[in-house]
Amino acid sequence: MIVSSGGEHLAHSGLVLEQAQALARSAPVIFQLREKMLDTASIWQLCRRIAPLIDSAGSILAVNERFDIALASKAGGVHLPESSCPADAVRKVTQGNLLAGQSVHSELSARRAASAGLDYLLFGPVFHTPSKAPFGPPQGLDQLREICAKVRIPVFAVGGITPEKVPACLECGAWGVTALTPFLDAGSLPETINRFFSFMP
Amino acid sequence: MSLPRRLLCVITDEQSDPVELARMALEGGAGMVQLRRKTASGRELYEWALRIQELCREHQALFIVNDRLDIALAMKADGVHLGQQDLPASAARALFDPGAMIGVSVSSAAEAAKAAEEGASYIGVGHIFPTFSKDKPSEPIGTAAIRTIRKAAQLPVIAIGGIDHDNAAEVIRAGASGIAVISAVSDSSDPVAAARELVKRIRQ
Repeated sequence: MIVSSGGEHLAHSGLVLEQAQALARSAPVIFQLREKMLDTASIWQLCRRIAPLIDSAGSILAVNERFDIALASKAGGVHLPESSCPADAVRKVTQGNLLAGQSVHSELSARRAASAGLDYLLFGPVFHTPSKAPFGPPQGLDQLREICAKVRIPVFAVGGITPEKVPACLECGAWGVTALTPFLDAGSLPETINRFFSFMP
Repeated sequence: MSLPRRLLCVITDEQSDPVELARMALEGGAGMVQLRRKTASGRELYEWALRIQELCREHQALFIVNDRLDIALAMKADGVHLGQQDLPASAARALFDPGAMIGVSVSSAAEAAKAAEEGASYIGVGHIFPTFSKDKPSEPIGTAAIRTIRKAAQLPVIAIGGIDHDNAAEVIRAGASGIAVISAVSDSSDPVAAARELVKRIRQ
């Protein structure tokens, strides 16, 4: 299960901090930090603050794109957008020190990411969702199944994922799922995570 | 790696093709190119950086990346230039090769001393003169501040902010090792000639 931070559209990082505090008492997940509104120093400071909270429950903090910030703040991972600098170049620097994944929106980029030695992929949008609308129309479950069959690393389904849609994604071969919107209410985050897990065997 | 004296550093702007701008700056005698493009994707930056690095090697010039230590590490740039809103120099020093060129933008003696303590190789001091290149709500610090700030850091100074043909020599006389410019080269109708003239002025 990957929890995507919801701070992208907000001008402050209060929600992220609340989410990190809630993750300290949740089942382990990957927490993907996407804070495009913040400058580098602010993201680094935020990571240094939340990494120990996220670590404490066995979760992994994956910083969006900036593996330098991840390494400098002792986060556990980096998540590369599709338009990031090439995954194999990132891997050469981070080696085994960071869990590294990438978002992909096509079979070609999925194959490329898998051959670069990444640990996991995010594929979507599988279903319709406003937050993923810029990445085009939903790709659907059939396309998810294709991607899962073509690569040998874990694929997480993203885009419009609710707990009820988890079994359909797993049936296509997905390793897990990613969501943002269901976790915007930080207070109920541990319960929401449990609800997602209840749909996984 | 130490900073050459009487150095012209050309920083890429937000509009030009950065590779073409770098090529012209180097042809005009720039000793350092800094890739800075806040709106570009990681992949664009990486690809530009590789090509500019190659041009810099041909001209025995230094190549550094602004803010994006990740890009600098991934393509093995000569260094990185960090602003006050970027990663601290100590973080860059810990992740980069020991010989890497790490620059830090400062505008006061206190920031300069901190940069030195954190392992900076040089400091970018400014803005010296009024400038429209960046959103700078603060007042220019003037050429007299160069010596004071340099003394606090005991590091070479690259002066920045509103530097042009007319005031470049004055900045060097005030104690700077080099100058950094954006618009004085990128906005020129003849960037090669603009860079060449700046180099001439700082070597007089």
